[in-house]
Amino acid sequence: MLDLSMHILDIVQNSIEAGATEIEIIIHENLAQNGLTIQIEDNGRGIAKEMRDKICDPFTTSRSTRPVGLGLSLLKEAAQRCGGEIEIQSEEGRGTKVKAFFQLDHLDRPPLGDMGETIAVLILANPRLDFRYTHQVNHHIYCLDTKIIREILGDLPLDSSWIFDYIKRDIAQGLKNIGAASFPKGMEVLK
Amino acid sequence: MPKLNELAAKLGWEIKTKSVPIDIEVKTGYASDLLSDVLANSIEGDLWVTRQTHLNIVAIAVMRDLAGILLVNGAEPEADTLEKATEKMVPIFQTQMPAFEVVGRLYQMGISGERR
Repeated sequence: MLDLSMHILDIVQNSIEAGATEIEIIIHENLAQNGLTIQIEDNGRGIAKEMRDKICDPFTTSRSTRPVGLGLSLLKEAAQRCGGEIEIQSEEGRGTKVKAFFQLDHLDRPPLGDMGETIAVLILANPRLDFRYTHQVNHHIYCLDTKIIREILGDLPLDSSWIFDYIKRDIAQGLKNIGAASFPKGMEVLK
Repeated sequence: MPKLNELAAKLGWEIKTKSVPIDIEVKTGYASDLLSDVLANSIEGDLWVTRQTHLNIVAIAVMRDLAGILLVNGAEPEADTLEKATEKMVPIFQTQMPAFEVVGRLYQMGISGERR
């Protein structure tokens, strides 16, 4: 995976396959603690207890043995490579929360990638699901919530090209405003 | 030993940093996509073959005094990567070939991966 947005797309795909109707994505860049946290929470069917221990093992990923792909294994590998870890909480019938920690200035940390495109694609492809994307950089927060967009739009569907463009642009501008994805860090040589 | 501009012409690479001089001899190369690995194992004057395109590749090239960066599989560098590479005089090239293929061609042309 070349960037974090691709990891996020993959994990959210798991949520959708688990029948989730509401998916929350939270990215937190904590400059003081040199940490980057990605959290993806859904209200899908959850992961069975006996599956939870082996969910990150790439050799138990066949779809007959579990409902998700390689996404968690790859996310775990990426986080560990950058001095981090992942954490999975799940309750059957309630939902799943995946949290990944990265050392913000780690040399091998993938860049954030195009979150505008990623979220816009998710909404375009799943217009009946609700997504909330929150991105925090220290005390600055950007948030996009499809429930709020629905309130404004009324009966208009979310899978239209102008909504896609609007979401993409809003996220790009919003992330710029809060100073997100300030990659790279600690690269004094570039100054 | 071939120069960067000769390699680019012979192997059909696109020169992404138009104003950076490439009249530079190359003797050795290193191929890796893990930046920490390149920082640890590349040597001065290496041509670096990679699929990574973000800004930090320029930092690695500057820190290790690499001859240049060759992006494989037609990977497009980000705008800020090119801007910084131009400022720091790090030549960036692009090939449509995958890494294995282009490294093989370079080896045939006398460029080795030997570490001194």
